[in-house]
Amino acid sequence: MASASSTAPGAKEIAVPGVAPLRAGQGYSFVLRRLHSLSGIVPVGAFLFEHILISNSTAISGPDAYARQVSFLANLPLVFFLELFGIWLPIAFHALYGFYIWYRGDGNTTAYPWSGNWMYTAQRWTGGIAFVYIVWHVYTMRFLGDDLHAHPELSFGKVQHEVMQTGLFLFYVLGLVAASWHFAYGIWLFSAKWGIVSGDKAQKRLLRVCLVLFLVLCGAGFASLYSFRSQALPTDDQNRTMIHSSHKAGAQTASNGRPVQ
Amino acid sequence: MAEKSVILKIKRQNTPASKSYWEEFSVPYRPNMNVISALMDIAAEPLTRDGKATTPITYDSNCLEEVCGSCAMLINGRARMACSALIDHLEQPIRLEPFSKFPVVRDLATDRNVIFENLKAVKAWVPIDGTYDLGPGPRMSAEEQEVAYPISRCISCCCCMEACPQFNESTGFVGAATIAQVRLFNTHPTGKALERERLAALMGDGGIQECGYAQNCVEVCPKDIPLTRSISEVGGQVMKQALGDLLRR
Repeated sequence: MASASSTAPGAKEIAVPGVAPLRAGQGYSFVLRRLHSLSGIVPVGAFLFEHILISNSTAISGPDAYARQVSFLANLPLVFFLELFGIWLPIAFHALYGFYIWYRGDGNTTAYPWSGNWMYTAQRWTGGIAFVYIVWHVYTMRFLGDDLHAHPELSFGKVQHEVMQTGLFLFYVLGLVAASWHFAYGIWLFSAKWGIVSGDKAQKRLLRVCLVLFLVLCGAGFASLYSFRSQALPTDDQNRTMIHSSHKAGAQTASNGRPVQ
Repeated sequence: MAEKSVILKIKRQNTPASKSYWEEFSVPYRPNMNVISALMDIAAEPLTRDGKATTPITYDSNCLEEVCGSCAMLINGRARMACSALIDHLEQPIRLEPFSKFPVVRDLATDRNVIFENLKAVKAWVPIDGTYDLGPGPRMSAEEQEVAYPISRCISCCCCMEACPQFNESTGFVGAATIAQVRLFNTHPTGKALERERLAALMGDGGIQECGYAQNCVEVCPKDIPLTRSISEVGGQVMKQALGDLLRR
């Protein structure tokens, strides 16, 4: 301890400076870190909740219902600003600052293989996986192929075309599970760190609630994915989907309008 | 007790700047021995396992009953107190290493001064100026005592900091022990006078926000201090103050 350092020979030539003491009154990391935490719940988490439980789930009711939901979202007032400030910027901040947090932490599950520590590491990996998935998902759905804001009726076919390919389907499943876990456990972390739920019993209870939320999100996601894989497109959309499918290299279309492997 | 022995592999380092190296030791087994008593045996006869003469191991220790916080080290890779680490409960060969996140002074002795700097930064004390008799302080309720007592057992051993994935040179995280002490002194009726300053200090860089809630701290704490609970409670107090200041200042 402190007394030992004064007696040691050559204490001045310490190679490792060690961890710096608390910098009281300095920096903005508190605000940034708390904004990161908050942005994960609102708006990013709230959007995930809407996307999986409300929008995607309309696919269960068929292509027409799905097209109506896409059309509804595309026609929200000031949709450009809603997206920019409600989704794009918050998710970019949450992801980039999240990678910065990940980079600065030193995971140590080998030495301390306890559940909380595994969850700490899992929170970083699920965030990373979800981010890669989201970038790909936004790129293919938003910037590649048909513009769904202009043609909501093509939405079901566009998603179906991706989901029918086994590799992409598995990527959907991975993205769904990673994002759902990251959000569900993120709610628990948020409540614990902000002092909203602090007692041991209360934290355990909340953990169970978050687990249920995770299962509900996954369940709704799987149900939507199943609908995309199992439902045929209505006949009037067949032609357009066939044209769209033929743009993709190697994609074939079966007689019922569904792309096949 | 025919020649049963205890094998120890110890990571040594001669000066703070020099390279570390490993040495293996074998000491005769005695019932109920702990890591400190094994280190004392090595000091009594400083020979490596293959009979080469060496120097005794340098380590910090004092009370030998887990209340002074000196003898914390990595034992089989985990942060814990050497005095309460019983040889009978450890897998052999027993690996002893100095804490990895604190500057090594020599062998197993590390410089853990950072925790005292942190405690100073959050004013972890009860402010009484002492120039005249202030009379008796306000009484603490039994409820407050129940919260305060477990936290007051902290021995500044730094196990919670060593085991924390967020405590490192790039974050400069303050660590669980100091946050728990903020809760302790904010619970104290006279200590409360500095509550605002303590919470404000924890908003600085390296403050409470760096906690990733991996919960290793509460698992390794030799004194069973409710560290994660304290981080949550103080986290709430800090947020309340931050939001209050945002709206009212």
